[in-house]
Amino acid sequence: MGGRYLARKMLQAIITIAFIVLLNFLLFRLMPGSPDRVLARNLPLDVRQVLLERWGLDRPVFPDQFVAYVGATLQGDLGDSFKFQGVSVVDVLAGRIWPTLLLFGLGEVLAIIIGLGLGAYSGWKRGGPVDYVGNGISLILYSMPYFVIGMILLMVLSGGLGWFPTSGMLEMGATYSSFVDQLLDFLAHLALPLTTVAIGLIGQYSILMRASIIETLGEDYVTTARAKGLTEGYILRRHALPNAMLPAVTLVAINLGYVIAGAITVELVFGWPGLGTLTVEALNSRDYPVLQGVFLLLSISVVLANFAADLLYGFLDPRVRS
Amino acid sequence: MRPSAVHRAIRLGSALALVAALLVPASALPARAANPLVLRIGTLQSPDSINPWNASLVVEYEIFQLNYDLLVGFGDDLQPIPGFAESWTQSSDGLTWTFKIRTGMKWSDGQPATSEDARWTIAYAIDAKKAGTTLGLGYIQDYFADAGIDSVAAPDPQTLTIHTTYATQRVLSMDAPILPKHVWEKQAAASVGDFTNPAPIVGSGPYQAVEWKTGQYIRFARNPNYWGNHGAADEVDIRFFPDAQDTMVQAFKRGELDYIRNPSAQQFDQLKALPGVTAVEAPATGFTELGFNTYAKDIPGGGASTKALRDPAFRDALGYAIDKQALLDKVYHGKGTVGTTLVPPYYVQYHVEPANPRTFDINLAKQKLDQAGYPLNGNGQRLDKQGKPLNLRLYFPNDDPSYATDAQFIADWFTPLGIKIKSQGLDTGALTDIQTAPEYDPKAKANYDLYIWGWVGDNNDPNTLLKIFLTSSIASAGTDSLYSNAQYDSLFKQQNEAPTADARKAPIAEMQQLIYDQAPYHILANDSELHVWHTDKFANWQQMPAGTGTPFFVMGALNYTLLTDATAVPSPTPAGSATPAASANTGPAATPAAATPAPSPAPADSSGGAALLLGAVLLVAIIIVGLVAWRMAASRRRKDQDEE
Repeated sequence: MGGRYLARKMLQAIITIAFIVLLNFLLFRLMPGSPDRVLARNLPLDVRQVLLERWGLDRPVFPDQFVAYVGATLQGDLGDSFKFQGVSVVDVLAGRIWPTLLLFGLGEVLAIIIGLGLGAYSGWKRGGPVDYVGNGISLILYSMPYFVIGMILLMVLSGGLGWFPTSGMLEMGATYSSFVDQLLDFLAHLALPLTTVAIGLIGQYSILMRASIIETLGEDYVTTARAKGLTEGYILRRHALPNAMLPAVTLVAINLGYVIAGAITVELVFGWPGLGTLTVEALNSRDYPVLQGVFLLLSISVVLANFAADLLYGFLDPRVRS
Repeated sequence: MRPSAVHRAIRLGSALALVAALLVPASALPARAANPLVLRIGTLQSPDSINPWNASLVVEYEIFQLNYDLLVGFGDDLQPIPGFAESWTQSSDGLTWTFKIRTGMKWSDGQPATSEDARWTIAYAIDAKKAGTTLGLGYIQDYFADAGIDSVAAPDPQTLTIHTTYATQRVLSMDAPILPKHVWEKQAAASVGDFTNPAPIVGSGPYQAVEWKTGQYIRFARNPNYWGNHGAADEVDIRFFPDAQDTMVQAFKRGELDYIRNPSAQQFDQLKALPGVTAVEAPATGFTELGFNTYAKDIPGGGASTKALRDPAFRDALGYAIDKQALLDKVYHGKGTVGTTLVPPYYVQYHVEPANPRTFDINLAKQKLDQAGYPLNGNGQRLDKQGKPLNLRLYFPNDDPSYATDAQFIADWFTPLGIKIKSQGLDTGALTDIQTAPEYDPKAKANYDLYIWGWVGDNNDPNTLLKIFLTSSIASAGTDSLYSNAQYDSLFKQQNEAPTADARKAPIAEMQQLIYDQAPYHILANDSELHVWHTDKFANWQQMPAGTGTPFFVMGALNYTLLTDATAVPSPTPAGSATPAASANTGPAATPAAATPAPSPAPADSSGGAALLLGAVLLVAIIIVGLVAWRMAASRRRKDQDEE
């Protein structure tokens, strides 16, 4: 791999990160409403002054606050939360990143398996009963926002039938005799939010996959395969599916970037203690350090991943390097 | 055939998911009774801190009131009852109070609790105030400071003396905790707000917090050393449902919760009909108002759109065009009461109704506007005294849909008066910015006319609500109507320094009438507290105030200690000292809950940095897989096209 390629990509990544760090500082300070007044509307002036001093907001935004922010960020210090007094942003984020990763990681996997499978089958048996029913349901699910799906599941399966716990990640204050017990409790709590995420994605994936399969089945090479006398199953598995997968893979990859957007609504409905609920809490109290932390974590993750993907890709496909 | 990228992604995805599932931080718990009776409470608020000096939300008050004793507690009729102090006397000149602290009282960690702890706590707050230092957010400190205390002493372990600068009974209603000196004395006053006060907490209250998960729940274990009556609950759990009212109600229906605070009005009526459920609508400390920008000076490039808003006669006339009963019925579903004066009926001692209540009468409103010098022009537009048509901007916070409905009604009622209303919902931050005067921030423009918003008062004292209209609140940004009136200011001072609660009544009544007449606010509706609980698990639910209030989220924690087990027929309530329940804090529970996470390889709580890093790496990994898969797929497609 050429050194120039590597250097160029690295420079790109560094410039992007620098830009993100800058934007991160500006973005939340441009929001109307200062944290001291949003956090406690009827605090006396002298108290608010003390808070502003403690948070470093009494000094001018530029250069003092900006220099302090850049300096700390470069040293990996994300500061202390305004809202959760005395707790560092790193600790706040650490407690919240796992639930989100789990919920959406598993949700994606489930949706990929079921959605793509359903879509492929519908497309293959076009006009059949599965296609009619499946496609109809997929369209409905596709057009429903997460929170509607979530509320329906919550009211029917949890509040109504009482099968699943309503919210949280583990039963509050439960003691477990074994790890298996704990895992089961966790799964019971995970079931509804996970189903919500999966259902929300399944519609999307299955519609796309169905269209893609139908298109592929009309290709010349499929006709050729049929002419060769291959069985329908063989044609589907070996010729149609692999090619029809391509647009679906694109969609899945793009969806990964939307984890937080989706997280906010689903997590709120089920009280899932992840980054989504954290973002809303932090936004409501203008907790700049936590907001910056979430934003920085996500955007730098994407940039680094992009950088790594570029390198990997350059390694996998020699044409890119030239 | 090449294995497709999707297959690989799926395989990797499941592997990652499996790893992640194994890493879920386990919640380890202190040992406790075999079948603990747990009282589970749901609330929409989520605490920001469990350090009492930082308390500002109702749930944060509830938490410290469970953890710690107040010097003097509150009975169900809000009368003083024994708290940290067993009894008290006032000197004949009214300036010196002597409190007796009970012998043998212990903190939850077994250390003796004496008058020195009380002296230290009060002196800590008073000294900080004198030095101009704010403890945390400053609310709690002011209960001590506002009681007029100038010195405090502990001549012996059982005696505490407090001296005040003027005769007052406020020392008997300080909603502030007495803290264990041995835990807190290391904390410098200036930075005490940064102390997290981690669970398990050492206090002398009936229940001690043993585990707090931010945004999720807080758990309390019974304090075996508690001096008072032991309630039937072995454990109290409070679960937080920020922005998730529906979820909280579903959890209550399913029996996951025994008690909930503030479901919506419709949910409340629904739950009320269920068997084994008690639902109580109680008066609350807050209200919703239509406010005016009454700022008396011109601001270049800002300020209200007309001087009419500074005219009490104009504001008064508009009051006749508001059908408050209709708002209460249609917007608030009949919950709460029609708003009148500044001090809501919750404050039974102080609330007065106006002597001359306005009625809903559009024609009368028109007449009053004509008389006040605001005529109609030929096009049916109402003109101000400068001859300009009155087109008013009405703002409201966009976080609660009921404000928008209020605004809609009001705009409809003002239209026949010839006054056009342009209403707009704003982010609360934007709204506070707009309502700022140059006295607070020289750049501020106070660029607004009308607004709808609400206030929530203090549990035991209307002072926070009364302060809204002080002239000094303009410079401290403590007001949203920028109102100023010298007579009001002097009445405030008079009631604030009155020797007894009774002596405050007259000036406070006068202030209410003054504000009602001057009408910087038209108070639309008084809020209500809607509390619902199951009666099959716990019995002997007491309300505060008795018969009309709610059991919890009130002053003190008395009602927690009075609960009995609904299933135990004779229900003997063991009083005081030797309770057999060797459940909580003395032995094994002394090891903190959160600090000993169970068999998980990556405990998220204790090593935040590492867990965060690991999580971030995983996030990056997932994104890499996605991107690589995408790129490969795209390039293969390109290749396919090239080959064609």
